[in-house]
Amino acid sequence: MHLFLLGVSHKTTPVDIRERLDFAARGLGPALEAISRRSGASEAVVLSTCNRAELYVACDEVPAARADLLAFLAEYHDLDSGALEPHLYERVDAEAAQHLFRVAGGLDSLVVGEPQILGQVKDAFAAATEERTVGPVLNKVFPWSFTVGKRVRTETALSEGAVSISFAATSLARKIFGDLKGRTAVVIGAGEMGELTAQHLQGQGVGRMLITSRTLAHASALAESIGGTAVPWTELFPTLGQADIVISATGSQLPILTRPQAEQVMRGRRNRPLFLIDIALPRDIDPAVGDLESVFLYNIDDLQAIVQENLARRAAEISRAEDIVAGEVKRFEAWLATRGAIPTVVALRQRFEAIRRRELERLQPKLAGLPPEAGARVDEITRLLVEKLLITPTEQLKSTPDPERVRIYADALTRLFALDAEEPARGEPGRDSAARRADDAGTTVTS
Amino acid sequence: MNAIPLILYLSAGILYAVHFTTRNALAGRTGTAVLTLGVVAHAFVTGMQTQAAGHVPIAGVAQAISVFVGLLALAYLYMEMTTGERALGVFITPLLVALQLLRVVSSVVEKRVPILESPWFGVHVASLLFAYACLALAFVVGLTYVLLFKEIKAKHLGYFYARLPSLESLDLMNARTVALGWVCLTIGVIVGVIWTLQAKQGPNVDPRVQAITLADPKILGAVVSWAIYTFALYARKRGAGGKRAAYISVVGFAIVLFNFVPIGYFLTRSHNFGG
Repeated sequence: MHLFLLGVSHKTTPVDIRERLDFAARGLGPALEAISRRSGASEAVVLSTCNRAELYVACDEVPAARADLLAFLAEYHDLDSGALEPHLYERVDAEAAQHLFRVAGGLDSLVVGEPQILGQVKDAFAAATEERTVGPVLNKVFPWSFTVGKRVRTETALSEGAVSISFAATSLARKIFGDLKGRTAVVIGAGEMGELTAQHLQGQGVGRMLITSRTLAHASALAESIGGTAVPWTELFPTLGQADIVISATGSQLPILTRPQAEQVMRGRRNRPLFLIDIALPRDIDPAVGDLESVFLYNIDDLQAIVQENLARRAAEISRAEDIVAGEVKRFEAWLATRGAIPTVVALRQRFEAIRRRELERLQPKLAGLPPEAGARVDEITRLLVEKLLITPTEQLKSTPDPERVRIYADALTRLFALDAEEPARGEPGRDSAARRADDAGTTVTS
Repeated sequence: MNAIPLILYLSAGILYAVHFTTRNALAGRTGTAVLTLGVVAHAFVTGMQTQAAGHVPIAGVAQAISVFVGLLALAYLYMEMTTGERALGVFITPLLVALQLLRVVSSVVEKRVPILESPWFGVHVASLLFAYACLALAFVVGLTYVLLFKEIKAKHLGYFYARLPSLESLDLMNARTVALGWVCLTIGVIVGVIWTLQAKQGPNVDPRVQAITLADPKILGAVVSWAIYTFALYARKRGAGGKRAAYISVVGFAIVLFNFVPIGYFLTRSHNFGG
């Protein structure tokens, strides 16, 4: 059994092709159903985000599964498979797991370390679980990837630090005020930047949102769209007295908050911290205001610098995250290898059982004279004997961690017991596997 | 025997440091577990010494310090439990280790003089030690507040920014610990005054009790620190929380610590009843 991945992502494929491979619009259910109707794959998970579309399947034959999935993609999305093929990447077994682990850890994302992807991987797996298209392999590798994602998140700083201006402003506000529930934010200017940051703050659950603009109508419009209260421009300074967070983004050519004005505002506040975010160009707030005690003044360049710094810090964490992925892939490989031993173990047991039955058959004339209990006893003893002989090699094979060694062992067993040949021991060339199954089920077969 | 809690505190400190620098959650949890174990061991050791001596070993400075260490660890664990913040462990544990080390160096249980058999003694020392534990926490919280405040103000969001809780919650912790510390400090000082007045009335007054005046460095230190924390509470009521409150609690505890250790050991003439 192999783990096989076929997919496209922002790294390999331009957006116009990715768009056409989107699974989200029609829901994952039909896609999973369509894959499972085909014969190539026994298990399937479809991961579809705005940056990637990936099919993870478990299959016996990789080339067959590949052809099957390619045909599925072309058919399902109504594309020419020849045009699609150059954009696809494919991974098998440990490499497929490595890819999934990197995706779940945010290492393969457009913005490295972005946290949403782990949730999307979980959703993809949940959808496949619901459609019952997962089996032993995907049931192992997907939950494993959640663990990897979580480890990367908690043990490295890969997902840390805001990487957008509005998010940087919000996380600063949280670091100053903690919970934003009881806090008041004031937005000065009803432009686009102000709106974006205000939305972020609203999303973080800020208690009260006051919006003011030179044109009250603009303030009212924004207040309505994001759920705040419009305040007349003339009330600006009293409003600042109540504020904890101020976002200033007007088009004004002159500063709207000078140092003496800010001092006036602070006097009424008794040192309660005031967080001023000046994202206007030219600046709305005199830089000297930032020298006041208990005032934190950040302008757009400061926030930009934080974003840059965070991006650099994330980049520095990549190798640590890759180490975590590599370690987990190694462990996954070992698990996969023990899975690789399973067919050999099954074949070995079947072979031994077949020999036992055949010998019993052969001795049937001699055993016929025994009383029925003694006959049953003979059957029991031979069964136990075979069982005992097999128990140690089976366990050894299953517990070997090194995949290479498992392959060598499996290979050796296959050769020594000629497991790939059809019953060579007594030379019955005509017997097919159906007959062998019949053998196992206890049907009489003449020797 | 005093070394057992010391070793545990040291191990907890190392674990907290690992937790703080690498942000490994397991190290943090293990740190908490080891610190808890340290407090339990400390209580056990103190209990054994109490049994051996027939009284709680808090008469000498080193002994009192050791009990203080246990209380501080306990108070810190309480704060950790209620806020879910482990980031301050790395700041508290060095204090525990350093002070417990003093206890290990002078490990004899000192004999108790008759004057200390008064029931006032236990209340006096216990409430003061608990006050010091709270104020020590306030000190550490205040210190981290200032560190974080400076990072945000200077727009260099670095090491502490990523690791410390928000300014608001640090300020809240500071307010609570200072308030509780002030209450215990007040009780301790009042009980001390009442006890001294009573002791001075008896027939055979201990010369050291006779020497207790406001001019004694130890007493003066206690009064000064009480005044500082009273001011801190007053200022907070007036709205001066945040950085000023943080600075006050740093300065206040510096005086408390100075009063407790060097003055207690070397400078006071009257207020040292360890044998």
